[in-house]
Amino acid sequence: MFLRCFRAENRKLHASPIWILFFLLPVISAVYGTFNYLQNLGILQDQWYSLWTQHTLFYALFFYPVLVGVYAAYLWRLEHRGHNWNLILAAPVRPLALFLAKYVVVLKLVLLTQLLVFGLYVLCGKAFAHLPGWPPVQTLLFLLRGLVGGQCVIALQLLLSMLIRSFAVPVFLGLAGGVAGMLCASKGIGLAFPYALMQVGMNANKSEDLLAGQYGGFLLASALWLALFLALAHLLLTRRDVRA
Amino acid sequence: MQPVIETQELCKVYGQRRAVDGVELHVPEGCVYGFIGPNGAGKSTTMKMLLGLVHPTAGRVCLLGQPMTERNRLALLRQTGSLIESPSGYPHLTGEENLQVVADLKGVPRKDIDRVLEIVDLAGDRRRKVGQYSLGMRQRLGIAMALLGSPRLLILDEPTNGLDPAGIQEMRDLLVHMPERTGATVFVSSHLLGEMEQMAEQVGIIDHGKMLFEGPLQALQRHSRGNYRLRVLQPQKAVPALQARGVPARLEKGALTLPPLPDAALAAAVQAVADAGAGVVELTAHTKSLEEIFLSLTQTREVK
Ligand SMILES: Nc1ncnc2c1ncn2[C@@H]1O[C@H](COP(=O)(O)OP(=O)(O)OP(=O)(O)O)[C@@H](O)[C@H]1O
Ligand SMILES: [Mg+2]
Repeated sequence: MFLRCFRAENRKLHASPIWILFFLLPVISAVYGTFNYLQNLGILQDQWYSLWTQHTLFYALFFYPVLVGVYAAYLWRLEHRGHNWNLILAAPVRPLALFLAKYVVVLKLVLLTQLLVFGLYVLCGKAFAHLPGWPPVQTLLFLLRGLVGGQCVIALQLLLSMLIRSFAVPVFLGLAGGVAGMLCASKGIGLAFPYALMQVGMNANKSEDLLAGQYGGFLLASALWLALFLALAHLLLTRRDVRA
Repeated sequence: MQPVIETQELCKVYGQRRAVDGVELHVPEGCVYGFIGPNGAGKSTTMKMLLGLVHPTAGRVCLLGQPMTERNRLALLRQTGSLIESPSGYPHLTGEENLQVVADLKGVPRKDIDRVLEIVDLAGDRRRKVGQYSLGMRQRLGIAMALLGSPRLLILDEPTNGLDPAGIQEMRDLLVHMPERTGATVFVSSHLLGEMEQMAEQVGIIDHGKMLFEGPLQALQRHSRGNYRLRVLQPQKAVPALQARGVPARLEKGALTLPPLPDAALAAAVQAVADAGAGVVELTAHTKSLEEIFLSLTQTREVK
């Protein structure tokens, strides 16, 4: 049942305009990061690690929540428009499967985005910053951790966009969440806030490992947030009347 | 025979408003059933409750002989095709891609898409974006989506809404042959009685959330028969002739108004007027509008 929903969801992305954003935001964030790095070579002396922080700081802080917010808002806007809520909820599938399908579709997009971010990071490191050798393997791990923390943001943004018919409001909430996440992370309570999980996962603002020795808590927090959002989605989709 | 749709005391209350109030539907298998009511009568709300999109405040829904529950809802939906508050669909995708989305959701093989495109006559436009479709084409696409998977029951909410007369005629031809063509029972709503007269065998009439009438269309047409207007050259000669036959006639704006009469009685009355030398010029039948039928139905109900 899930696979059927996933296939349907994937098809809806054909010829959709979000692919423009998919390329645009990571490129902006890479250009900005590289520029910043080159301007501050005096302070940023950890080479690949320093470039990583410059590349991912704004990505994790602003661009990632906005990008996920836009993906999620776009996927739900397809249903908010017309009377498609009636269409999908009268289909013989469990409502949670519809939500999960959207979650996995955004996860897929985010995975591709993360790879693009990494590709741009390597490219900028070699071509513009002229860094020696190749980036440390640890950065790949950061990328993966970013995805683990970031998937909570996906579930949360999908939930917001499902409830709020506006396109811009949930995206803006995502942006605000990103900023609030940074504050939480800097106070050391990053695990308690979904937007911060992405940032600590990516190791976006420090050269030393933010998560050293905290993997258990990080994974647990990520899983708990996801479970909470899925449970909420299920309740809302089955208990509330459809308003198309 | 087991009804395909049956509801008992179905109610939906929004705040203070009883949008649906004790509706009892009995839709026999293999017919086109017209569900008629003016704007805001509760048609869409009732249909959404049949599909489990809206949770009833009270009452029960039975589809295909089974009471609908959380558990068997998906199994029942698998045998039901629907189009609620049309038109729906994804405008950035082609007609065919839209049908593929629905086919995926329903778990129906792709080749069924060709069949339904043929039925609604959209095969030639399958590769065009739905955003460029006309309203009539989008409505037919919605019907095609509902038809995917050959459901036993079709629930269609005002599929003729917004169509021009030609489009309405096309939709009517499409629906009236649906039971024999696909074996499906068609439950279709409209706010126009006239539209249903040429396609439904059974009708249900709803107003302010309450059922006013349910039964065969012919039975309703008895209610819809209105007064006759008889124009004569000399009304003063006609009135006594009619009164002698026991037909109450009123003189209004130079013409006589006769109450609804069986055909034979009417013919005899006109004959009598002519024999009296009143000079019959014109006889017109006045069919009641839906509003007037509602009024007469509500009144007869209160008398009961
Ligand atoms: N979600 C809702 N919240 C509050 N009131 C509602 C809601 N949905 C419908 N109603 C009210 O319930 C009544 C019945 O609405 P419904 O849409 O079922 O009518 P309808 O017969 O389909 O009318 P139309 O011909 O205009 O489509 C209306 O008075 C409407 O205002
Ligand atoms: Mg309606």
